[in-house]
Amino acid sequence: MAREQVYMVESGNELAALAASQINYHVMGYFPITPSTQIAEYLDELKADGKNTVNMIPADGEHGAAGICYGASTAGGRVLNATSANGLLYAIEQLPVQSHTRFPMVLNVVTRSVSGPLDIKCDHSDIMMVLNTGWLIIFAKNPQEVYDFNIIAPKIAEHKDVRLPIIVAYDGFFTSHQKKKVSVFKNDKDVKDFVGPFKADYTSIDVNNPLSIGCYMNEPDYINNHYQLAKVMEKAKDVIKEVFDEFEKFSGRKYNLVNSYMAEDADVIIYALGSSVDTIITAIDDLRKEGKKVGVVWPSVIRPLPKDQIYETVKKAKVIVALDRQDSYNDIGGNLSTELKAVLQEKGATNKVITRVYGLGGRELYIDEAKELFDLGFKAINESVKNYDYYGVVTGNKETKLPIGLKPLTLEMQDNGIEVEMVNGKLEVKNINLRKLTKQAKRFVPGHGACIGCGIFSGLNTFMRGLKGYVVVLFHTGCGMVVSTGYPYTSHRITYVHNLFQNGAATLSGIVEMYKEKQRRGEIPKDLDITFVMVTGDGGADIGMGPIVGTANRNHNLIILEYDNEGYMNTGNQLSYSTPLGHATSTSHVGEAQKGKRFHHKDTPQIMAGTHIPYIFTGSEAFPIDLIKKAAKAQWYANNMGTVYGKILSACPLNWRSEPKLGTKIVKAATDCNFFPLYEIEQGITTLTYDPEKAKSKINFEDWLTMMGKTKHLIDPENKEILEAAKKEIERRFRRLKIMSEHPEL
Amino acid sequence: MLPITNQYGLFEVRFESIGGLGANIAGKMLAEAGLKYLNLNVASFSSYGSEKTGTPIKTFVRFSDPEVPIKINSPVENPHLLVIFHENLINALPVTLGCNENTIIIVNTKKSPSEIQDMLKIPTATIGTVDAIGISLEEKVKFNGILLGAISKAIGFIKPEHIKGIFEDIIGKKYPAVLEANFRAIERGYNEVKIEKVKEKKEYSFKPFAKPSNLIGYENQIIGGLVVNPGNSFSKDLSASRNGLIPVFNSQKCTSCGMCDIVCPDLCMVFIEENGQMIMKGIDYQYCKGCLKCVQICPVKALTEGVEAEYDVKSMTVKLFTEKDTAQNHR
Repeated sequence: MAREQVYMVESGNELAALAASQINYHVMGYFPITPSTQIAEYLDELKADGKNTVNMIPADGEHGAAGICYGASTAGGRVLNATSANGLLYAIEQLPVQSHTRFPMVLNVVTRSVSGPLDIKCDHSDIMMVLNTGWLIIFAKNPQEVYDFNIIAPKIAEHKDVRLPIIVAYDGFFTSHQKKKVSVFKNDKDVKDFVGPFKADYTSIDVNNPLSIGCYMNEPDYINNHYQLAKVMEKAKDVIKEVFDEFEKFSGRKYNLVNSYMAEDADVIIYALGSSVDTIITAIDDLRKEGKKVGVVWPSVIRPLPKDQIYETVKKAKVIVALDRQDSYNDIGGNLSTELKAVLQEKGATNKVITRVYGLGGRELYIDEAKELFDLGFKAINESVKNYDYYGVVTGNKETKLPIGLKPLTLEMQDNGIEVEMVNGKLEVKNINLRKLTKQAKRFVPGHGACIGCGIFSGLNTFMRGLKGYVVVLFHTGCGMVVSTGYPYTSHRITYVHNLFQNGAATLSGIVEMYKEKQRRGEIPKDLDITFVMVTGDGGADIGMGPIVGTANRNHNLIILEYDNEGYMNTGNQLSYSTPLGHATSTSHVGEAQKGKRFHHKDTPQIMAGTHIPYIFTGSEAFPIDLIKKAAKAQWYANNMGTVYGKILSACPLNWRSEPKLGTKIVKAATDCNFFPLYEIEQGITTLTYDPEKAKSKINFEDWLTMMGKTKHLIDPENKEILEAAKKEIERRFRRLKIMSEHPEL
Repeated sequence: MLPITNQYGLFEVRFESIGGLGANIAGKMLAEAGLKYLNLNVASFSSYGSEKTGTPIKTFVRFSDPEVPIKINSPVENPHLLVIFHENLINALPVTLGCNENTIIIVNTKKSPSEIQDMLKIPTATIGTVDAIGISLEEKVKFNGILLGAISKAIGFIKPEHIKGIFEDIIGKKYPAVLEANFRAIERGYNEVKIEKVKEKKEYSFKPFAKPSNLIGYENQIIGGLVVNPGNSFSKDLSASRNGLIPVFNSQKCTSCGMCDIVCPDLCMVFIEENGQMIMKGIDYQYCKGCLKCVQICPVKALTEGVEAEYDVKSMTVKLFTEKDTAQNHR
């Protein structure tokens, strides 16, 4: 008999999290990426409220997250992860490791397009990339299925005849963010009973049975390991059917490997995947009233490929219109239709298949478009139509140009009148006057879409005041990038390059070295001076730390500038390693069972100090003269000696839950309470450039915390321990800096 | 139970809003009220991506009777209820696409329904206007409670008590202090909204729903998605991002110290050289999002806080860029 259920209005992500909470996974290793991030957020929120005890590990990137999950799964417990798009691709080399060493876990892939031009919306270019990794893949088409499949998934993956990792995939935004009426199990215990206990055959922490996991294996053994997996994939079809049947008894909801609607007698069938299916069903209801025999077929499982069931459901159709939400650039179609064609060929079928690549990058499918696609199918019965094409592209008007821009900045317009001179091994900077500096044309242009009171452009623009001459910027993915370059617009008046935030420092290294090589070869003028600046958020300084340190070690002539707003704000305020202890974020909630972030903030300038680059600094808009002076020094060092790293503290009123107008005051308070000391490390010598005590501006640590909603709870007496720990650590770090500042040898 | 439905049995709602005003959560609340108190089938989602305040978003809510499933996942084309969360959106976006004479339109504005009709340029409709900005400044709450109160009055089947119940479910536990203020906001929205079937004006016509399209297609998109016109975001109008407050500049008091130019996130302070001196001339309100950081930093009170509705912002605007600053790259 079906277990007791209640109705809710929830989105796919909320339901994936609810299922995970009810199952109470041992470990979740994750790294935030839109649109999958909310799974970790909701799971953390439920944890803070005491609803689960999942050990949530915020990784340093998706590659790290996959590593955490792999390690945790070898240790024999239940493991969860969630990702999307480039995150999935960043993790992809770990996927075959996990599947071919046969450790089950559950990965939610909330489908999103893989950049090219950065697109955060839905298509299937990510999920189709992992078809060849040996993971099981089940695909949910609506929030109800997301919930159900998340309960079904571990039972399939952990089945004694399977023992494979599994992906639950669903459409980004359409399914992940749409809130629908769903039915969920009232009692967590019922869910736990259904999934049952997991007893791993082999674990990495069983000291009585030592074993070697991941041996070095070439021919002739390797192919046999893979053949085992291929056979298990076959077997998995039966197991999935079995678990689907069991789930039907448990929930009252029936699932099949392949599903259909009105396909039995249809002349034209659309073969599709994901959230579009429901829209197509609505179109079918309309067309059936007109007497048109149309139907739709969609798989719930794409690995293993249920080829018999696919063939059985489509075989009677005269024409199948296969809709691919990604392309394989093979002039045949994306993976969905290419595999359909292979299935039909294997079965000796002669149905006509028309492929249309549609809905890339989040382009919606409307009811009238579904009808148009059916019409295309009818046309194809008797006429010749293109077998493979795109649907929904725009030709464009050749006369239409990009929105008009501004004239490029000349050398003169970028002058700042600041003088920089090396005197006795130390740089001296003269002639900084804020009023005069307003004459310098801005390299960033208004019209960007940053939030009200966002500190990013205040800080960056102030820094830019200190640079004279030509500048090329590279932005990591993040708020600053997203809000300043929404196509076909840009808020950059100078040349700007984006790369994903694992890799900006390496990318800019390449640009700088090409510029220098071309100068050496005389291909560009030798007297052309360009200053290269990489801009990252604190998120890019987490996931991109490896290439940042690598760039610093190679000492390229460039500036790495971090705007630190203490969290992954672009994806919705998840904790970063720079988030201070106890601060509330969407992955470090405050509740009965948890009080904000569990570990101290990362000291990035001191990590960079270990690379011994010529210049390191911290600064903020609250101390503009100080920051501009450091910028001028940064430019000199970058152009003459090598890599510079700087950190700018940057207000995020939205996620700090503070008044937008108070941004400057809050970042000033962060310095005046010693949390964010202003200092520089010039050729190894540390100097505090501002001492709150000497300036008679010292404030209490608590005074800073009360200015933000995200930290107010730390004033509460019940959180005294966290407050004291945070205080102790910042005072320790500050004293250390001060002593270093007083002793040039340190 | 539903007053009107389309061919798929759906009562459809579209919110036109800006990130940060609470439209997404308002959509969820409206849907939850329909499920919890009326057992309706519901769905709600928003067409937004990255989490930014100040950028336009659309939120969609669908209701159907319990036995009618909601299958459509695409945006609402012909709304029965259209809610415009900020009056400034009317000129910035084609908010009324797909509306018809049966559409109920709620607008956050001080203006009257017939004035709004002229701004919207629609022949007729049932228009409700409510000064959510004013109420929100007074009650210190977001717009969503106020607008949900107004919505409740306009559509009837969702009652103010239902909205209050959902507010209690969602924020009652975590933020009990703001619950009372939101209850007042819901009531004031319900009581203060002016709803009128406006007189037909033949000079206007309804515009049919159009899918988002772009004149830049695969024939004329520069390869690789490049943008070769530097700084072209200068042509964007961000004035709809403001929440009712603006910085007001008094040149008499100003010393042109340049601090406002340092802290302004929107880079909209206009300094011009006169007789070899840089002089602060004013603000380009096309870009100002009304954060008021400049008011906080100004050492001589040359910048003060003002209520936008009390000023003629257009005449106060000093343009940052003129035609001579612009260029079209013809590559």
